Amino acid sequence: MADEEIPANAAPPEGAPPKAAPPKPAAAAAAGAHAPPKPPPSMAATPWESPLTGSLKQAFGDQISQYSTYLGQNFIVANAESIGSILDFLKLEADFDYLVDVTAVDYPKAEKRFELVYILYSFASNERLRVKIHVADGTKPPTAVNVHVGANWLEREIFDMFGVEFEGHPDMRRILLPEEWTGFPLRKEYSILQQDDRWVKENLGIESGH
Amino acid sequence: MAESTFLDANELVLNMGPQHPSTHGVLRVILKLDGETVTGTECVIGYLHRGVEKIAENRTYIQFAPYVDRMDYVAAVSNGLGYCLAIEKLLNIEAPPRAQAVRVILTELNRITSHLLWLGTHALDIGAITPVFYCFRDREEALKIFENYCGARLTTHAFRIGGLQYEVYDGFEQEVRAFCDMFIPKVDEYEELLTNNRIWVNRLKGVGVLTGDECKEYGVTGPVLRAAGVKWDLRKAQPYSGYEQYDFDIPTAQNGDTYDRYTVRMEEMRQSVRIMRQAIEKIPSGPIMAKVGKVVKPPMGEAYVSIEAPKGELGYYVVSDNSTQPYRVRVRPPSFVNLQALDRMVRGGLIADVVAIIGTLDIVLGEVDR
Amino acid sequence: MFRLLKTILLWDLLQGLWVTFRNQNPKYICTEQYPAERPKIAERYRGAPRLNINPDNGETLCIACNLCALACPENLIVVGSARNEETRRKELSTFTYDTSRCMFCGLCEDACPVDALELTQDFELASYTRDGAIWDRQMLEEGPKPSKYLS
Repeated sequence: MADEEIPANAAPPEGAPPKAAPPKPAAAAAAGAHAPPKPPPSMAATPWESPLTGSLKQAFGDQISQYSTYLGQNFIVANAESIGSILDFLKLEADFDYLVDVTAVDYPKAEKRFELVYILYSFASNERLRVKIHVADGTKPPTAVNVHVGANWLEREIFDMFGVEFEGHPDMRRILLPEEWTGFPLRKEYSILQQDDRWVKENLGIESGH
Repeated sequence: MAESTFLDANELVLNMGPQHPSTHGVLRVILKLDGETVTGTECVIGYLHRGVEKIAENRTYIQFAPYVDRMDYVAAVSNGLGYCLAIEKLLNIEAPPRAQAVRVILTELNRITSHLLWLGTHALDIGAITPVFYCFRDREEALKIFENYCGARLTTHAFRIGGLQYEVYDGFEQEVRAFCDMFIPKVDEYEELLTNNRIWVNRLKGVGVLTGDECKEYGVTGPVLRAAGVKWDLRKAQPYSGYEQYDFDIPTAQNGDTYDRYTVRMEEMRQSVRIMRQAIEKIPSGPIMAKVGKVVKPPMGEAYVSIEAPKGELGYYVVSDNSTQPYRVRVRPPSFVNLQALDRMVRGGLIADVVAIIGTLDIVLGEVDR
Repeated sequence: MFRLLKTILLWDLLQGLWVTFRNQNPKYICTEQYPAERPKIAERYRGAPRLNINPDNGETLCIACNLCALACPENLIVVGSARNEETRRKELSTFTYDTSRCMFCGLCEDACPVDALELTQDFELASYTRDGAIWDRQMLEEGPKPSKYLS
């Protein structure tokens, strides 16, 4: 920050003569370029267009906010509320009849911190598609079990690891961890040492030495 | 009001596992029984949970590679291949052709060892003691090749991101050829023992039927899907690591019962030998490692890459935040998803069939629980 | 008809028995008589770690660069170094390797720039105590000395 303020302070005295006017925007631009060191790097995804996106746009309109492709893999970003109907549409109209995986990614700084990823595959067209939704902590996205039975355990695992509850899920319990477990391990703030520390303290009565 | 006693209850709840020999590890199945008929099940899993996905977030990309071997520990090479392919996809590189050919040979060899372990233990569950000895004896030959190649038998850590760490050793090709020649008569031998055996046939035919549509509904993949008549194999559908160069068939069957899964897997072993024979004939020369820096740092992004592991579709969904550690690694374990269909398969069947069905799903609890 | 005959004559059983009978042949015996016989270990086997010493002058090859400790996924290598005032070079002082947590992935030997750290063919790593699994520099240089119960 100190480096940027020097040209900013140096500019006004030079700004008085007219011939020094050009450096001022240049300095400001340079300062502007340096102030946020780099634009936060984001995924270099490119927009994705295909007959499928056309029919999806027609059916869902602004419910789907992004159609992208990255490294040859297509994904769409949708509203959390309409995930059930989107999966249903994709299954019935576009033959995406195989739910490969449901998983989540935790972005603690984002407004809606959990990104839920539904990976779909179509046997008919040999194509993969990822549907992403964003969910804030505490809100319950609708379950996909009514569309794909196989989502049952996968959603339970997300609940187990991230604490995202699914609305309408028949059996929302922990699956891999024991029922009495506290915390959700795959959240970013969950340190791998805290569990170890507590366990050692409770069961061995000593400080954990790692 | 008459008090109901346990004599009135038709339902009996029986706990199978977690230390039951036929559950292949630490799977606990709570069975609801009416007489000998199973009316419902509940799987309790997680006894072997090690938090692999959390470990991944605390390791660098290179350091995490040995951990994936410990998920499906009978098919460690396949796990490693899937992980390496996923990171290579993120880095947008491809392993050199020589590395790809060696990868194919080792992965197919690993498919055979995995199927042999399945065959031996499955037969043991049904009550045939003999095959397990023969299977393990022949599996040993394949494991020796792994040991000679990379120095470990089970948790191999054979592949690295971008290619291979080790050049093939002298005599690798001869050993693989010798294994191929030795192995086909052995498969015939196992078939002689089991295929027509009346106990084997009676115990397996018509048990645990899962149709193709049900498989798709549950996301069941691998030999279980193919036994239901769906001719789908990722090696053909979305070839990776140069599988498109090799000529092989996808074995399928029609009924989707336990016996069909047996025949499909037996045929798969033969097809694996066929692939290995083709690959060993034309291992291209050249480098074994693509240009990957000492520090693997993929650009910001995400990728899902899946391979056809011996158990089904093994996928890795990796999110990179442009650092040396993965932001998130999600493993799509075939055993976990396949196990979900257990309830559908055993419901209405007999309690003795539960053992056969767990065996035929070919689950590895290290992968189910991760 | 043929099938019925096969069923009555227990053909499937005899077929299986013939397979087991064939396998009685002593050439199929594959049991290893460990520990009476040493098993054949592959050349690249990743077993007990060893810190190589220069055979000419008996000095360690390790240059205390700490790369193995950084490469280790389990963080179980601790390299201690001290600056030698005479030669002005960094020299290895201590080296601790915790084999109880080691998964023998081989990343440390890949990382070593001077081939000082190596995973050898020794596989007899069992120890009666937990402390026995933590190897110091001396043990790493000399290798494990398992007790021999058979002469």
